Amino acid sequence: MAFHLRLILAILVAKVIMWLVRLLGRGKGSSLPGMVALKICPGILGCLARQARRGVVMVTGTNGKTTTNNMIARVVREAGYRVVVNTEGANLITGVTTAFLKAASLLGQVDCDYALLEVDEASFPRVTRQVHPSIVVITNFFRDQLDRYGELDKTISLIREALVQLPGTRLVLNADDPLVAPLAASTGKEAFYYGLGEHRQVTSLSAAAREGRFCPHCGRELFYAYYHYSQLGNYRCPGCGFSRPFADVEGTEVSQGDHRVSVRLRSPAGYYELVIPVPGLYNLYNGLAAFSAGLSLGVEPEVIIRALAGYTPATGRMERFRYRDKPVLLNLVKNPTGFNEGLGALLSLPGPVDVLIAINDNDADGRDISWLWDVDFEVLEEHHHRLNSLVCTGQRGAEMAVRLKYAGVPLDRIVVENMHRAVEHVLNGSGTTAYLLATYTALWPLERILSGYAKRESRVESLPSVS
Amino acid sequence: MLKVCHLYPDLLNLYGDRGNVMAYVRRCQWRGIEVEVHRINLGDPVDFREMDFLFLGGGSDREQNLMAKDLENRRELLHAAAEEGLVVLAICGGYQLLGKYYRTLEGHVIPGLGLLDFYTEAGRKRMIGNVVVELEIDGERVRVTGFENHAGRTFLGQISPLGRVLVGYGNNGEDGTEGARYKNVFCSYLHGPLLPKNPRLTDHLISLALRRRGLPAELAPLDDRLERAATEIMLKRLLK
Repeated sequence: MAFHLRLILAILVAKVIMWLVRLLGRGKGSSLPGMVALKICPGILGCLARQARRGVVMVTGTNGKTTTNNMIARVVREAGYRVVVNTEGANLITGVTTAFLKAASLLGQVDCDYALLEVDEASFPRVTRQVHPSIVVITNFFRDQLDRYGELDKTISLIREALVQLPGTRLVLNADDPLVAPLAASTGKEAFYYGLGEHRQVTSLSAAAREGRFCPHCGRELFYAYYHYSQLGNYRCPGCGFSRPFADVEGTEVSQGDHRVSVRLRSPAGYYELVIPVPGLYNLYNGLAAFSAGLSLGVEPEVIIRALAGYTPATGRMERFRYRDKPVLLNLVKNPTGFNEGLGALLSLPGPVDVLIAINDNDADGRDISWLWDVDFEVLEEHHHRLNSLVCTGQRGAEMAVRLKYAGVPLDRIVVENMHRAVEHVLNGSGTTAYLLATYTALWPLERILSGYAKRESRVESLPSVS
Repeated sequence: MLKVCHLYPDLLNLYGDRGNVMAYVRRCQWRGIEVEVHRINLGDPVDFREMDFLFLGGGSDREQNLMAKDLENRRELLHAAAEEGLVVLAICGGYQLLGKYYRTLEGHVIPGLGLLDFYTEAGRKRMIGNVVVELEIDGERVRVTGFENHAGRTFLGQISPLGRVLVGYGNNGEDGTEGARYKNVFCSYLHGPLLPKNPRLTDHLISLALRRRGLPAELAPLDDRLERAATEIMLKRLLK
């Protein structure tokens, strides 16, 4: 069958599936249409992606893909362009394909200036065999779901090999991550670096989750002038001289609040004040990445700053609810680094807090939950007087409870409940805030239950794939 | 006072291995047994015979190569301590290192410390998943749950396994054995939080250490309801 006939058939079938999924109200249908379309017409992704008039931007790395990609989408839209974006979480080849299918006409035409794609690290080589990005943003490499990806080194080398195959692609790299920064030299690509300079709050909850403390070139232990969290910081190898590259975009003078984080920016375009309306250093990194991507695409710095100031978080990224008078925060946790940051945010909340932790071990969460022992729950020990209750739930809630016990949380604070009762427990606790943390597949049921009681405060940006 | 030696805590800490040291220390402290943790990194001096519990975790290949050389220099001291009754827990990569050798897929032989009679061969398919193992502790059958993730297949010589696999692959996916036990050296592929989830085993390792010092080894019972609940949930799920 000729290619264009297969293409049209694939689109037709995919559209019918999308329509059925919506009709039956089953999930969001964010990967099934793509899966079927790729079966019918294996080259469909490349064919649709090539139509992005000004090119494709890809975001990959361990943490911050969704947030960074959504931020870039906001920047590019603010600049007046039409975009295709893959919706949250659908970052495998099937999800990426579905995003284009949603945007495509029945004849296979896609009307957009940019495609902004969040791509899973393991899927990156497969996706780039069809889609040639003009810019690739790499956020960081942390330990994440090792049972699925094998070892981190392997993941990085697969991405490196994929990048080498891409002619003309430019990189936007995190200068502060010694696992990310060498990708420019090892692939021979032109790179634009972003990073965070030294600031008053330079500290770390832990050294335990640091992954890249050894020189990727010669294996010597890296020397750090300072580090922000995990292995991110200003590093230098005493052996071979490998060191943090000069950051083209660098943030200094960080100021953090409950709902925002801001920084003074030095960039080739001048100095700016960057404000992001979500808390946490990790979100600042996402903002720096989005700013750098925006500059690389030629968007005016003022437009980027304005777009990022209006950013609203996606589901489970510090989403705010309110139950009666009580603020309720919902946060996704996926790996030790992210969880440590989540605990840091928890301890920065004023007054007594009721905490819910929901741990599932489905494929999307990682079937191995050993990583919970790499999270620094020990910080809770000395703050336990401010923790009203710690309610554990999800498929592995009982094991979460064991983890808290060995972290030194008094037994009388630890509760194990099913999800419904767990939500009721934290909402009705006597703390002034309820703080909920959940792994990926626990997030959706938790959010549904929570929505039944509490009012959503932050307007969730459920990105339509085309605007 | 018990001295706990965490060997290469910065290098060998994949998959929450440090949970094992935490569990050992906490369960001593909760009973008023004083504990001192020695974190021993590359090149740090340590006399293993003075230690009461030695923990060796797993690491990625890169990190394992860095420490294999260092451990080789300590071979004689470690060998003497193990023969004389030092309580050791070695997990995954740490376990493999104590044996005779590791043969890679290409047939390349990497020598181990040769303290225990077993060898390991790389396999093409990684053995990954939840595990249930039955151990015998002081004549009592204990079911232990955990997670394994290894490419190496280990075959035991004149040495007992740690236990029998009820669910999962164990040493090699063929003979139904899991781990190894020689004197007070315990080896296992069950990585991460083996001890916190299995307090019966932890307490056994504490008792053995106390006995070696000639101290009373009877341990006061603790409230282990959470640990039991966590294990029960996994047993129910896995032993269908």
